[in-house]
Amino acid sequence: MTGLPWILTTVAVGIPWLAGMLTAVARRHARVIGFVAALVSVVASAFLLQAVPARESLNEALMLLFSCLTLGATLVIPQRDCNAATIGGILFLLGSTLLAYSTNDLRILLAAWVLSTVPFFAKHWFSARSWRPRLGLLLSSIALALAIALIAAQGHAMSIARLRGRSPGGIAVFGLLVVAVMFRKGILPAHAWVADAAESGAPIPTALLLNGHFGAMLVAKLIMPLFPYTSRDLFPVLSYLALATALYVAIRAITENSPRRLLAFIALSQSASILAGLESRTAEGITGALVHWFVVTTSTMGLFGILRLLEVRFGENLTASRHLGLGEHAPRLAVFFIVFGLALVGLPGTLSFCSQDLLIYGTLASHPQTGLLLPIATAINAVSIFRLFSRLFLGKRRTGFTVMADALPRERWILTAGVLFVVLGGLFPSAIVALRSAEAKAVEHAIYSPDGARSGV
Amino acid sequence: MDSWQALLVFVVLAPGVVFGVLALLWLAGYVPAERIISRITGVTFSASMMALAAIVWRLALPGAPAVAVTFGNWFTVQDYHFPLVLLADRLSLPFLGMTVVLSGLIGQFSATYLHRERGFLRFFLLLHLFAFGSLLAFSAGSFDLLVAGWEIVGITSVLLIAFFQQRTPPVENGLRVFAVYRACDIGLLVGVFVMHHWAGTASFDHGLSVLTGAQSTIVCLLLLLAAAGKAAQVPFSGWLPRAMEGPTPSSAIFYGAISIHAGAYLLLRVQPMLAHSVLASTLVVAIGLATAIHGTMVGRATADAKTSLAYASLTQVGVVFVEIGMGWKAVAVAHILGHATVRTLQFLRAPSMLHDYHQMHSAIGGTLSPTGQHFEDLFSESVRLWLYRWSLDRGHLDTILDRWVIHPLIQLSRLFAKLDNLGIDRQQEPREEAPVSIHTAASPGNIG
Repeated sequence: MTGLPWILTTVAVGIPWLAGMLTAVARRHARVIGFVAALVSVVASAFLLQAVPARESLNEALMLLFSCLTLGATLVIPQRDCNAATIGGILFLLGSTLLAYSTNDLRILLAAWVLSTVPFFAKHWFSARSWRPRLGLLLSSIALALAIALIAAQGHAMSIARLRGRSPGGIAVFGLLVVAVMFRKGILPAHAWVADAAESGAPIPTALLLNGHFGAMLVAKLIMPLFPYTSRDLFPVLSYLALATALYVAIRAITENSPRRLLAFIALSQSASILAGLESRTAEGITGALVHWFVVTTSTMGLFGILRLLEVRFGENLTASRHLGLGEHAPRLAVFFIVFGLALVGLPGTLSFCSQDLLIYGTLASHPQTGLLLPIATAINAVSIFRLFSRLFLGKRRTGFTVMADALPRERWILTAGVLFVVLGGLFPSAIVALRSAEAKAVEHAIYSPDGARSGV
Repeated sequence: MDSWQALLVFVVLAPGVVFGVLALLWLAGYVPAERIISRITGVTFSASMMALAAIVWRLALPGAPAVAVTFGNWFTVQDYHFPLVLLADRLSLPFLGMTVVLSGLIGQFSATYLHRERGFLRFFLLLHLFAFGSLLAFSAGSFDLLVAGWEIVGITSVLLIAFFQQRTPPVENGLRVFAVYRACDIGLLVGVFVMHHWAGTASFDHGLSVLTGAQSTIVCLLLLLAAAGKAAQVPFSGWLPRAMEGPTPSSAIFYGAISIHAGAYLLLRVQPMLAHSVLASTLVVAIGLATAIHGTMVGRATADAKTSLAYASLTQVGVVFVEIGMGWKAVAVAHILGHATVRTLQFLRAPSMLHDYHQMHSAIGGTLSPTGQHFEDLFSESVRLWLYRWSLDRGHLDTILDRWVIHPLIQLSRLFAKLDNLGIDRQQEPREEAPVSIHTAASPGNIG
């Protein structure tokens, strides 16, 4: 990568890191610094996306998406959480994630993978009280490091482009990469850390960490292009596990009463279907997975953001075990919540209706028996999200709140932007679907014609 | 696009646009006055009625072709297309007309009925969204688009059941109805998928004709699951009395007229396939018969006006299913139109039913004779008592659903929770409760 794309990538990755350091030094105006740094990343990623052909734009599109999510996070994060440490950590995560998306070198990918987890190990940043998130992230990093070490030990190049279709390290490396995906993404049986992280960590940064979807990125960027033959034979196992995860956590969510854990289960269930779609080996399934990637990230960020805003306003002991009646105090937050929630599970008129349509088609076409788990899991998730909505927002009006409870203008506008993305994307999906379809063809091509795949990510 | 096509597009989109504009205004902080909302509603549906009347006039001409509007594909991925086609033919037109006329009437009725109600704007927003969803489902030229309208009808139905959100029963019953809808809609999603898979398309024109006998049967059975769920047919009838928690005007239009007949419309659409499948058509007749008997028996044991009307409605829809299963398409359409009109009127009069009875009794100088006594006389005392208990518990359908579906699912979820927390000491674990009431004591319908 040289010339303008290199400069834009450096700006998109470097500015958030510099701004993160600035917040640590200045310790003032954290939100403003965070917003400006994220905005610079958004602009640089947008120019980068313009500069590459549609077929090769997956990484750049993901960079733009994640920059936008972080920009939204800097606005929606409540005043109580908006300090130099939080904003600095979010910016550090942004830089690391964009680096992982943009790099073509295995060593840099490993470094970015590890760096993105650092804030979740440090106590003054976003470390969860539970040990499972740290263990999950640690094991995923170790598995990836071992895989890359094995590739290096066998004398292979470290460039992803040059390793395409060569199955470097054979089945051992493939297995280690799959383990890395399972731990990072929270695939059964390594799923429990996701809910723990959401419950006992900082919700908005944790949502950002989960929405980096490093597991799916590793599949699309590394596993499928590098191991096309092994993927064809053995990858369905990961797909079955992903479908099982989608159903398992959907059922698990039925009796969960902690709103954060409940949201984490639903998000995990819906994002597990991304893996199933990527593995479906059909253009429809892969396109559906890529579109769903965008929907899940936007919707879950919105939902976690709203939940945090509610916690700040009404106390952190929110529960889904009884009706809290918060809708009377925060009607707009209620509407944003139900739109994001139903957008996550395929409401017509939202982008997820298209992505679910394609995902269900793709997974059923490739796995007629296990593919049926996907619509069942989605149906259960829809009930769970509606249950959470009704328990939080409906019911008898509570008294005794004197604060300004509904969305502030800053929060309202950014949440409206998120809703507009999922709704307008749903009403006019052809542009988004066509772009993802072009990227899906590249992913599909990498499996079926590995030798002719493009070089350079 | 010619003028007839433009009129059809207007009819379908008008309520959707009104919903979008009112929702955006509300988000921006502007709440229109009740008078403005009711006038906008009146103008929208009046204009839609006139536009639809013009289309009816056009289609009444002998040999006139159906009005179809093709917008191309909503999205395309390789061989997979989502065709965006609106269609007003001789089957969809009665349903479109019914939706527009009754939505307009309900809008006018509700302007007075819900005057100064806290959720006035919310009700009208949902009414417009519902009308848009129904019109989309009835005018869809493919099953893909029908699914979109179908789901919108479902979600608005649930949100209106939970309209009186300050009380717990409407909210919990809304959740229950949503769960049944989503479970049954799996049939629709998978049915549309297999149509795409086997026929290469899910459009009404080309998709239905190319399927083989066995394929038709499978598609019909999947769609029957969705139709039975939406139309509250046996064994999914348990949600209907719970849905009576919503405001009376919404009960009238949803469960007396449009939503309850959406399942029948779906079956009418697949009638050509149904006719070739003995198994599927027999099952449609059997479900319809079972529902009609169930509805009439349970309806006799209900104690409140709206629930008894709901079961009366269920009985008629059961009969409509039988007609469809027998292949009497025209009879079924006529039955639906007549039934929807009468039932809407009855629902709207339900709040003043006692007053109406008193007036009638005064007019005839006595009390009305009870009907149906001859049925009771056919059975012995013990059988009558057993049937009464059976009817009082609404055929035990909710109990069966709870015991065989919901309860095992909750147990499984708790088992997963235990597995997840093995060796973990989760502090302040909130007490886990059943998310959907296990007990069948559906609250009595809300007369108001």
